[in-house]
Amino acid sequence: MLDVQIWFYTGCVLVILGSIATVVGPGVKDPLVRTLNTEIPAVGVSLIFLTYNHTLALLTFIAATAVITLILLRAIVRLEELGVDL
Amino acid sequence: MIVPVQVPELVVSLYPVAIWVGIITGLIGLLGISFQKNDLSVLILTDIVGVAMLIFVAGVATDLAEALILPGLVVELAEIMAISEILLSREIRKNNISGEDLVPTALPLNMEILKTAPTFIAVVLIAYGVFLSGFTGGVIAGGGILFYILSKSARGLPVELFEGLAGASGIAWVFWIVGFLLFFVGPPFWLLGLMLAAFGILIKVASKVGLIGILTREEFKKE
Repeated sequence: MLDVQIWFYTGCVLVILGSIATVVGPGVKDPLVRTLNTEIPAVGVSLIFLTYNHTLALLTFIAATAVITLILLRAIVRLEELGVDL
Repeated sequence: MIVPVQVPELVVSLYPVAIWVGIITGLIGLLGISFQKNDLSVLILTDIVGVAMLIFVAGVATDLAEALILPGLVVELAEIMAISEILLSREIRKNNISGEDLVPTALPLNMEILKTAPTFIAVVLIAYGVFLSGFTGGVIAGGGILFYILSKSARGLPVELFEGLAGASGIAWVFWIVGFLLFFVGPPFWLLGLMLAAFGILIKVASKVGLIGILTREEFKKE
């Protein structure tokens, strides 16, 4: 039987590693890679919510993350079309 | 110890870890922001700081904490939306581009499934959201609206479905308040109050997610 804590600690490790990856990870000069790296802490936070039984918060967080990724990708695409130096 | 006895042992043992993880993540995110010169990267790193904020609130692990996470998420969403719009309009003004193509890609594909499938999926999502009601239903219905708008606008079709969205949102807000008031004024009508609150918050949340549709509509008007 797995302990409940394992989800919490996995989430914590994912959040910290993911935020480091987003700030100084390989290839983050490309904003697309940076945006995709933000998904790692998002998964970590989802696991933390799961540990605490925050169902509503978890569902809303998943929806909000999807929409935020959409907005960021739209901004990246539009800025690249404008020829801005990213 | 100032923690009440009703709090489970598990939550108490995890609380310091949650706070430390929140502090470390927030520091990493803020340091990244302070070293960045690129505006877009700063916008993306704001997401990390938001994650740190969520861990702080989630660590309390009560129903109130869960309820506080929801407005936090909405605020974060609105913030990122607004900043990205500011960034885009500033670059457009700086480069003095007129007649800029505002829709990213208008695909020249002529397949029937591209016309019919978005409508069907949107209808299913909205119907399921209305069936669920409440906050979760609002998110799902809003996702359906958003999916419909995005898939239509990606093909360059005008979307004129959401003219009165702001008005509906205001009326839904009134339903929600009346529902809550009924709990206190007329406790025998609790079922009516519950339903009013549930469907009020449904329309409210759905229209919030559908706000992105208004953004695309504004772009069509500019054209």
